[in-house]
Amino acid sequence: MALISSPLGAPVRAVARIRASVHVKLLAGFLLITLLFIAITAVSLRAVRETARQTDLLDQAQVRVGWSRQIEHALAMQMHFTSMALLAQSEDSVGLILRENNRFNDTLARLETAAPPEERALIQAIRVAQDDAMATVADIANAVRDRRMADAMTALRTRQEPIYQKIETLVGSLVAAEDTRMASLRRSIAAAQARSLRQMAGFAVAAVAVALIAGFVISWSFILPVREFHGFLSQVAEGRFGGSVAVPNRDEFGALAERMNWMSGELRRLDDEQRVAAATLRGLNDRLELASRAKSEFLANMSHELRTPLNAILGFTEIMLDELYGEVPPNLREPLVDIQTNGRHLLRLINDVLDLSKIEAGRLELGVDEYSVQEIVDVVHASLRSLAIEKGLAFSVWVAPDIPPARGDGRRITQCLMNLAGNALKFTRHGRVEIDVRLDEGWLTYRVSDTGIGIPKEEVENIFAEFRQVDTTITREYGGTGLGLSITKRLVEMHGGRIGVESELGRGSRFFFTVPLHADGGPA
Amino acid sequence: MRDRTVLHIEDNEYNRKIVRQLLSRTSYRLLEAADGEEGLAVAQRELPDLILMDVQLPKLSGLDATRLLRADPRTAKIPLVVVTSFALSGDDRRAIDAGASAYLAKPYSPRDLMALIHRFLPEN
Repeated sequence: MALISSPLGAPVRAVARIRASVHVKLLAGFLLITLLFIAITAVSLRAVRETARQTDLLDQAQVRVGWSRQIEHALAMQMHFTSMALLAQSEDSVGLILRENNRFNDTLARLETAAPPEERALIQAIRVAQDDAMATVADIANAVRDRRMADAMTALRTRQEPIYQKIETLVGSLVAAEDTRMASLRRSIAAAQARSLRQMAGFAVAAVAVALIAGFVISWSFILPVREFHGFLSQVAEGRFGGSVAVPNRDEFGALAERMNWMSGELRRLDDEQRVAAATLRGLNDRLELASRAKSEFLANMSHELRTPLNAILGFTEIMLDELYGEVPPNLREPLVDIQTNGRHLLRLINDVLDLSKIEAGRLELGVDEYSVQEIVDVVHASLRSLAIEKGLAFSVWVAPDIPPARGDGRRITQCLMNLAGNALKFTRHGRVEIDVRLDEGWLTYRVSDTGIGIPKEEVENIFAEFRQVDTTITREYGGTGLGLSITKRLVEMHGGRIGVESELGRGSRFFFTVPLHADGGPA
Repeated sequence: MRDRTVLHIEDNEYNRKIVRQLLSRTSYRLLEAADGEEGLAVAQRELPDLILMDVQLPKLSGLDATRLLRADPRTAKIPLVVVTSFALSGDDRRAIDAGASAYLAKPYSPRDLMALIHRFLPEN
């Protein structure tokens, strides 16, 4: 797959190979993303705090500048009051000067406490100058008290004014220093803000990238095996067994792959076994087919081989009984009839066995054509009437008048009805045998009722099996091959119909079979 | 008018004997052949009035012999009864398809055979 060979293939495989459950991997992925968000928050907080600190410093510098202005003001006031004292030639202003001096000193003290170390020297210098100024003020005050106005004026002009100018200059440079500091602080704040913005942006981009890659890698470590499984299962669905699926996963998908490979192996094994079995079966089937064909040919040949001498036996017996060889002595007539009876029985057996073997080999085909139900019943009636008369039984037939021409193998239907009616006559000593045919919703029901010996309940279901007569003595007493019902059942089923019997022991039986009015036939 | 001639083609001696016995008291003249080739030769030489043909014969099968007789204009019109092995096996249909006038399933009753002969060939 293309992805596997891409640069991300290696981490995808690596994640897949981690021996942890899918649940844990997903949890780790979410945890990683959460941690990234926490880190972004921390970085932002740090930037905000830094900015706040810088702003604080700026505020302090501003306060200090304010104080410096107050100092300047106090100084100006001192000079003003000193001048006033001189002008008024009074000491009254001294108190005001002292008040301003105190204000000056207080403010300077506060400034000194707040000032950064590099400004301490400057403040110290201001204080010294102020002390000088106060000393001069004191001298001036004394001079004014002593009315030495000239001295006072001189002191003011020569000492006091330069000191004040000095102080003014010092305070000016203090203010200038603070201004410089403030400017630098502002720059620093702007720089810090720009920096933290860059940091945060960079961090956010990095976090999003990491989260995307982590999500991609983790999800592909699940998608790849699923795709592999899909391809593999398609193969299996197409019937190509024995392939295997290889995934690097050591999680649930890995376990699933293992099971799939096991399943594939099992399927292959079963498929191979089935193929071998099918081949064996085919071989067996071919051999059975050959054997069956050989059996059928053998039976057909045997049938002919048996029929030829039987034809001679029955033929000679008949022409002897017809006295074509001259009069038959009375004592020989009975054994001749016995030969004839047994010969005919042997013939029926041969016919039935051949029929049954053909049906079982699937080689009996129905000769489907149009046939008349009435004709079939008439043929059966005509064939068996002499037997009924011989046994003193009432033998009647009834066919529903509205039956149209039917489709099926008429000769086989005749054979079926002949079998049932023949049995009925055989197993009935007194009373009657009736044949009736009805048509009901496209189905023909042929029914043969008798007042014969009946069939015990427990034998009813076996009655259609081969060589099943209720009692072997029955064969001897009543004759028959024991194959008639079985053949009849198969022939009826080949017509798509079914056969059944209702019987009461000692009271009689009612056999019936139902076939479609239009049977298409074909092997059952 | 000469006696009506019946040709019986059958490989089994006993079955030939039965027909021989059946016809011994009639006016029919009986010819016999024991295999398909001989039967074909006799039929083409003697031109009988009726042919009884067994299905399973040595050398040439009864059905093939029937087809050859039907293809020969001299013998095409002669009534021909095929004696089949087993009516239900389909021999009967094959016999009619090959050109037989009628068929009789073996084993047959000599009475039925006589009736069939009389039907195709009334006695003088």
